[in-house]
Amino acid sequence: MKTSQVDVLVIGGGPAGLAAAIELKKSGVQSVRVIERERVAGGVPRHSFHPGYGLRDFKQFLSGPKYAKKYVESALTAGVVISTLSTATHFGEKNSVQVTSPAGIETISARAIILATGARERARAARAVPGKRPAGIYTTGSLQQATYLEDLAIGTRAVIVGAEHVSFSAVMTLKHAGVKTVAMLTEKKKHETVGIVRIALGLWYRFKLMTKTEIVEVLGDSRVTGVRIRRNGVEKVIYCDTIVFTGNWIPDNELVRRGGFAIDSTYKSPIVNANAQIAGTSIYAVGNLVLPIKAADKCAIDARVIAKKVAASLN
Amino acid sequence: MSKKIYDVAIIGAGVVGTAIARELSKHNLSIAILDAHSDVGDGTSKANTAILHTGFDMVPGSLESKLVARGYHLLRDYARETGIAVEELGALLVAWSQEEHDNLSKLQAKAVENGYKDSVIISAADVYAREPHLGPGALGALYVPGEWIIDPWTPIVAFATQAKLAGADILLSTAVTGVTIGAHNTLHTTNGDVEAHHVINAAGLYSDEIDGVFGIKDFTVIPRRGELMVFDKLSRTLISHVILPVPSSMGKGVLVSPTVFGNIMLGPTAQNLDDKTDSGSSEDGLKFLREKGSKIAPELLDEEITAVYAGLRASTEHSDFQIRTHNNKYITVGGIRSTGLTASMAIAEHVKELLVSSGLSLGAEKMLPAITMPNLGEAFVRPYQDEKAIADKSGYGEIICHCERATRQEVIDALESPLPPTTLGGLGRRTRAGLGRCQGFYCHSELRKMLEKK
Repeated sequence: MKTSQVDVLVIGGGPAGLAAAIELKKSGVQSVRVIERERVAGGVPRHSFHPGYGLRDFKQFLSGPKYAKKYVESALTAGVVISTLSTATHFGEKNSVQVTSPAGIETISARAIILATGARERARAARAVPGKRPAGIYTTGSLQQATYLEDLAIGTRAVIVGAEHVSFSAVMTLKHAGVKTVAMLTEKKKHETVGIVRIALGLWYRFKLMTKTEIVEVLGDSRVTGVRIRRNGVEKVIYCDTIVFTGNWIPDNELVRRGGFAIDSTYKSPIVNANAQIAGTSIYAVGNLVLPIKAADKCAIDARVIAKKVAASLN
Repeated sequence: MSKKIYDVAIIGAGVVGTAIARELSKHNLSIAILDAHSDVGDGTSKANTAILHTGFDMVPGSLESKLVARGYHLLRDYARETGIAVEELGALLVAWSQEEHDNLSKLQAKAVENGYKDSVIISAADVYAREPHLGPGALGALYVPGEWIIDPWTPIVAFATQAKLAGADILLSTAVTGVTIGAHNTLHTTNGDVEAHHVINAAGLYSDEIDGVFGIKDFTVIPRRGELMVFDKLSRTLISHVILPVPSSMGKGVLVSPTVFGNIMLGPTAQNLDDKTDSGSSEDGLKFLREKGSKIAPELLDEEITAVYAGLRASTEHSDFQIRTHNNKYITVGGIRSTGLTASMAIAEHVKELLVSSGLSLGAEKMLPAITMPNLGEAFVRPYQDEKAIADKSGYGEIICHCERATRQEVIDALESPLPPTTLGGLGRRTRAGLGRCQGFYCHSELRKMLEKK
């Protein structure tokens, strides 16, 4: 088996991982390597085509793909080594990680390991929403991929489940795909985005925000025909051909859990100290692996701060 | 053009139909398998609970008891020979009430009647030593070391592949709509007529309807819905045996079982339906599973749910398998429930004997082509962990489905196999790709592209 050694190994090439890697190089760390399982680094923003990225970190108003590209280019310029199509499968002995890629299996040892594996939205299955399994069910992420990358026909009338910041991103994507949002449901008492976003988009796209409402059944055989919902014990059917399950994030914590590290009961994120460090280790966690969910630029800025501390600890 | 008249046509390419086709392929016979679906194993077989049953709890003396006991050994050996994943976990029938505890010795006696002598009653302390994550209140258990878990999908593909390589015709997307009985049987299908001397009905949920086509009414299939929750792979360390319910006056409980794919499964519910297509899950069913599951293994309910499945069992008003020879060289293989996977190869032997009794001349035996199936089991080395495989083909190092760690080359292998998948579901059953916790978010579009290019 191939073995190699770096100063810092970053697992995950999204905004947080790349920002940390860039900062480490700028702080004088010799060898920094990023492991990315996808074909291209950049993370979630790669398929989020609406603008709004880069405000806090680049002081620019960028689309997701441009933002992702900018991070990858900056990292390469800074001298970061990015290995794509590379999956960290588990922790090995003495601060090492085993990685599978088309080049083979490699054990990479590092003085510090930064985990930046991100988070995903809980899909319909993970929420155990009853009913059949017709076509027309998405998460915000899969909706964006289908709309922007694959240019697939989505539908005509959508119900959005969840009223987080990302849920309003789904509204914009649906609009782009020519789909009318008929309702947005949340079991919570209130939406969870910035007030101005809710008001502006609610007015602009004219959909109904239904709080304290749960989805109790997906209707339709081959294609979604509606959702059965319940509010205050009263059930009702909303007709739609598309359902988007948004937010309700779960961190990609597999590596952490397989490593036997503790996770918190609320978010299932690794438990870290104020330095984002898993106590008693040289392993750090940054970005949305540590929930609650944050915007990409916030993840990147926070990761930079942590990277400075990691660099200082190595000197 | 004179049409080919098959020696045997088998209706239904589930685990039973394909096992029969494989068994008959050991002889110089011409065989056709017909299925309404576009792939093998796409009906009731695909939602099997994946347990390799010893048959310890069957009705003693029943055909099911006999065939499950025999099938257990046949399928176990076949799995070893072809590389199908089996894990030798053993089962615990955990008693949660005094009534259930009292029933353990009866179950043990029944196991002996069924020819299974290895079960032992163990104390509550032993139960918790074996399964420390079980909920409180277990009073003891019947330990059945021979109850194992198996990959439920690969046997079907393996049976059909061997039959195909031996010369059988697998006619998919071919639904039988009628029959003309003459010197031989002419099956009318959505894909033209298929002529055969002998016909076997292994149509699962639709076996009563195929009987109807032949003018026979021996039983009615009452689809019984079973809802299952599959928990994330990170839950797999919580449970290390098949946890089975003890039957009692409170009705049948649910099982909690590891799967060879590395998950934990909770279920199934049992609800009789009238609709053979209603494979949706229900709010009540899922609530029931959560309640049952939280008692058996409370920590399991804190884990993420990867998938919720609802399968329909082809049960009938009878308790036993319904395997019958009729006039006109027609045999019905009905009433096969979840034990059908374990029993499949024994059912095939049994059906072969019935065919001989109906006048089929088997002729000389021939060797079946040897096959090795891809390992989908988590307990064995998978391509992404195999340096040699990756060195040989770099695609084994390209993980395309992150959740299941299925690689590009495994997908290519499936697409280039003698019996390639036609749908994402079929691809998933051959490679695990797309079946994981993200339910295809990362890989479905890529998999779809690969499938379409093929």
